[in-house]
Amino acid sequence: MTTEAKNEAQDISEEGGVDLAAEIPVMGEAAERFAMAPQWQLMWWKFRRHRLALVSLVVIIILYTVAIFAGFFAPKSADPTELQTPSYTPPGYAHQTEYINAPPMPIHWIDNGTFAPYVYAFKKTRDPKTLVETFVATDTKIRLGFFVPGDRYTVGFSSVPVCPPEWSENAICKLIDPVLGFVKTLAFTADIHLFGPINPEDPFYPAGADDVGRDVFSRLIYASQVSLSVGLVGVFLSLLLGIFLGGLSGLVGGWVDNLIQRTIEVLRAIPDIPLWMALAIAMPPRLDPVYVYFGVTIILSLLRWTDLARVVRGKFLSLREDDFVTAAELDGVPRGRIIMRHMVPSFMSHIIAQMTLSIPGMILGESALSFLGVGLRPPVVSWGVMLNKAIDVVVVINKPWLLLPGLAIFVTILAFNFLGDGLRDAADPYHV
Amino acid sequence: MADTLIDVKDLRIHFFTDEGVVRAVGGVDLAITRGKTLALVGESGCGKSVACRALLNIVHRPGKIVSGEIIFHRMFHQSSGSGSDASVDIAELNPKGREIRDIRGKEIAMIFQEPMTSFSSMYTIGNQIMENILLHTNLSKQEARILTIELLDKVGIPKPSRLIDEYPFRLSGGMRQRAMIAMALSCSPTLLIADEPTTALDVTTQANILDLMQNLQKQYEMTLLFITHDLGVVAEIADEVAVMYLGKIIEKSDVFTLFNSPAHPYTQALLKSVPKIAMTREALDPIKGMVPNPYSRPSGCPFHPRCPKAFAACKTIVPKTTSLGLHHTVQCLLYEDVTERQATEALS
Amino acid sequence: MTSSEHIPQAARQMTDDSYLLEVKNLRKHFPITAGILARLKGYTRAADDVSFYIRQGETLGLVGESGCGKTTVGRCVVRAYKPTAGEILYRRADGSVVDLAQIRGREVRTYRKDIRFIFQDPYAALNPRMTVFDLISEVLAVNHIGTRAERVDQVESLLKRVGMRPEYMRRYPHAFSGGERQRISIARALITNPRLVVCDEAVSALDVSVRVQILNLLEELQADFDLTYLFISHDLSVIRHICDRVNVMYVGKLVETAEATELYTQPKHPYAEALMSAVPVHDPVLRDSQHRIRLEGEIADPSNPPSGCYFHPRCRYAQPRCSTEEPALHDLGNGHFAACHFAEELNLQGVRMG
Repeated sequence: MTTEAKNEAQDISEEGGVDLAAEIPVMGEAAERFAMAPQWQLMWWKFRRHRLALVSLVVIIILYTVAIFAGFFAPKSADPTELQTPSYTPPGYAHQTEYINAPPMPIHWIDNGTFAPYVYAFKKTRDPKTLVETFVATDTKIRLGFFVPGDRYTVGFSSVPVCPPEWSENAICKLIDPVLGFVKTLAFTADIHLFGPINPEDPFYPAGADDVGRDVFSRLIYASQVSLSVGLVGVFLSLLLGIFLGGLSGLVGGWVDNLIQRTIEVLRAIPDIPLWMALAIAMPPRLDPVYVYFGVTIILSLLRWTDLARVVRGKFLSLREDDFVTAAELDGVPRGRIIMRHMVPSFMSHIIAQMTLSIPGMILGESALSFLGVGLRPPVVSWGVMLNKAIDVVVVINKPWLLLPGLAIFVTILAFNFLGDGLRDAADPYHV
Repeated sequence: MADTLIDVKDLRIHFFTDEGVVRAVGGVDLAITRGKTLALVGESGCGKSVACRALLNIVHRPGKIVSGEIIFHRMFHQSSGSGSDASVDIAELNPKGREIRDIRGKEIAMIFQEPMTSFSSMYTIGNQIMENILLHTNLSKQEARILTIELLDKVGIPKPSRLIDEYPFRLSGGMRQRAMIAMALSCSPTLLIADEPTTALDVTTQANILDLMQNLQKQYEMTLLFITHDLGVVAEIADEVAVMYLGKIIEKSDVFTLFNSPAHPYTQALLKSVPKIAMTREALDPIKGMVPNPYSRPSGCPFHPRCPKAFAACKTIVPKTTSLGLHHTVQCLLYEDVTERQATEALS
Repeated sequence: MTSSEHIPQAARQMTDDSYLLEVKNLRKHFPITAGILARLKGYTRAADDVSFYIRQGETLGLVGESGCGKTTVGRCVVRAYKPTAGEILYRRADGSVVDLAQIRGREVRTYRKDIRFIFQDPYAALNPRMTVFDLISEVLAVNHIGTRAERVDQVESLLKRVGMRPEYMRRYPHAFSGGERQRISIARALITNPRLVVCDEAVSALDVSVRVQILNLLEELQADFDLTYLFISHDLSVIRHICDRVNVMYVGKLVETAEATELYTQPKHPYAEALMSAVPVHDPVLRDSQHRIRLEGEIADPSNPPSGCYFHPRCRYAQPRCSTEEPALHDLGNGHFAACHFAEELNLQGVRMG
């Protein structure tokens, strides 16, 4: 391209009278791609350099994939008494009562030199002197395999309830019922599991059992559905509130700004947990669990929108003074277009980073409420609900595997924080 | 040489970024004469600031001093006269070590373009100047305070005994720069490095600050290294001038020679292209093109793509430093025997 | 101050037919507020009673130190700010005169095409998220001028004219250096075929070697497109190079206005004299030979200016009268005006020509 570019440069300089010959940098392909790269491309290039954030992104993608296809990844169902049609008893819990409080079963991968995973079945014994129950491994090998049939499960929202009958006249219910109906048609059922006992009726407790003999590992996976989505839904709601109120505050200014800012300050002065508890207790106790779930999310987001609103307001205020916004005004660009085309795109990335950083707060909030017994309640499984079983120190000492949901929360929060960090650094790719 | 304060030899500073290596300073030789004012001139990105930071060994990551020597000929006042054996290679020192910290702020001081960023807004002006004094001398707090007030007075700050307790943001740009100079002078440095100290200031303030710096230089018998892009300021203040382009010193001479008979085509073009106040309205000759991208430096002479006098050899042969007079050196093939260079190049 | 509200737009007159723009008694005061309830504490008089004119086709310089209000005046002319008071008379292409200070909303937008603005910082003025084509042509798009194909042609030819390759229009601003971005800004200003361009420190942020390229480009474009410039700068050398006439501002007020050569060689206001004396001369031989005037003290605070002549606390010729009586800008003949009581008597030193 060298000579061609030079020639053309010569042409232009003759035509326009401006000397260009040395002005034309001969660009390589990489530089050319850089020159044409829109904002998102630049952000991705910058984000890519943030190793920890990249790893966190992968972790988060894995977590959400597992949550969406929880039935496939969990060897057993979450709760034998729940979810299923009455005529169907999950075979996975045939040995449920024999395994109450059983510790994790170590998995052996190699048998006689070949790859053939198995676990030893447990037998409950009682110490004759102390009368303490202990589990000892027997010689019975329980063969494990990949893609084995097991308990039936559904992927998708099959269990989304229609509005409660007493609300059937409600306008919102009438609006969302068809939507829910459509969502339900997307769900499908299956009974193949990624990993589990070859005989679906065999006991398999890779992370131990809880006080009614349910598989902690499977429940952990099912619980992620609730715990991980609370964060997303909650942040989405607070995003709507935050952008609307923050935008109003930053764009209108004056007494509107003053009112919103003072409201934010008052909201931020209220301690979270007591208020959540009060609001959670105010919820009707006999609501369908799914509505409790949405209730909790709304409560969480009502208190968490303030951060986002401040960011949005701050961005509007600073952008209003920016030269490129003034330049657009001087181009005669109408106000709405300035906001949508010039202002919003330049802080959207910051908002996304901020959102990512506020998801952990939501997850922690849900866990805290459920842990305290005022958020979600069984039969819904969330990490917080599961941790509720570990509220007693004695339990923690004797059955440490009940703390696993805590580890899951820890990993998730850390991943979101690292991802948020990376996004925040990449959010403004135009400044080094 | 006895009257050389700092001798920089083949200094190379590279920046290791994700996009590649930037050779910010690519082999600089520079001798700073004791008691004189040396102006380092160049456009943004030519490496002049980085090179000067290296004199204090404050080159931050991803930058690194790759090679070269910075010999600092220290002179101690107590040892009568010659301090020839007290020289130290600054480039060799541990950037966080004791030795370099003793030099920084005491023997070599630096002032910056935007004094606001070099003062902490959390402490008063006086506090920050006194801290430097207490760090490098044995004075008591009370004595340090008196000295600080004296210094503030000396740099032309009105009512120094009151302003000593002000916070930096309360001062105007010019006053802050004066305070910055006071801080730099607090330990009577032998070398004062001024990195574009007047660029952010208005012309009238700039003129006052330049006057002040010249007076103080005489008073303190300081050596002044003045970094600027403004040739007018150079003409005003410099004894010697070094012109930098893309990490190299392409010409160095005394200020009169440089303005009267510049040798390097870049210097010539630069002088011709600047609008001057004492000039009628006439078309100026700009230097064509732009400063190249730091990642893709031209081969041969770095200036050849923009040079009006470039010839074929300029594309391949890197010019060496040629001496044109007593204190006049230039890096340009116009002043070299090109055929000889080509011959040696061909041999090796 | 005359209230201009009652004059019907059609009846407005300019002092001279050759004027493209005439600013009369322009004031822009910014309120200073404090506290949660935003109580008004006073006003910053960024521009105070400024009057000047620009002839069709000339370049008028507006020079002064930071905070003197020159940018405020420029922004009022392009109506980025609504003036507090005063008139900004603009002669339309059909010869009729309109007061830009009085119009609002949609009406302002009709003049956005005629009067354009070039910013100091080419990095900040171009939205980094838009391609060069979108940046330059947005003004056409929002005003529904031409089809997309026509806009592409226009952008192409204008990019060539400002010395850039037309293919560059698909790139984003981050791919360009400061000088190139300023060329893009110039193309953006010129795409509407404006009549008046306000250049606010248009070359101050550029490197020395690029600065002259842009100055020369602006001069060429002035001839080609029959442009009138209001050139705002703190740099007296640049102003000298490009301007026909020069206004000098100090703390929101116009203190002197004259034809450029006359102002530089025979200044009549002590501030103009001091300003020029402070500019470094590009000749080391002259550095000690000249008598340099050094200003003492600080620029006055525009929210709390001194009494009388704002310059009197720093003026070396100040008399008792200066601290009590505010001097008016008065005619010294030959289009030279100065706001100093002693403009006729003082023998001030100008720039020595090299």
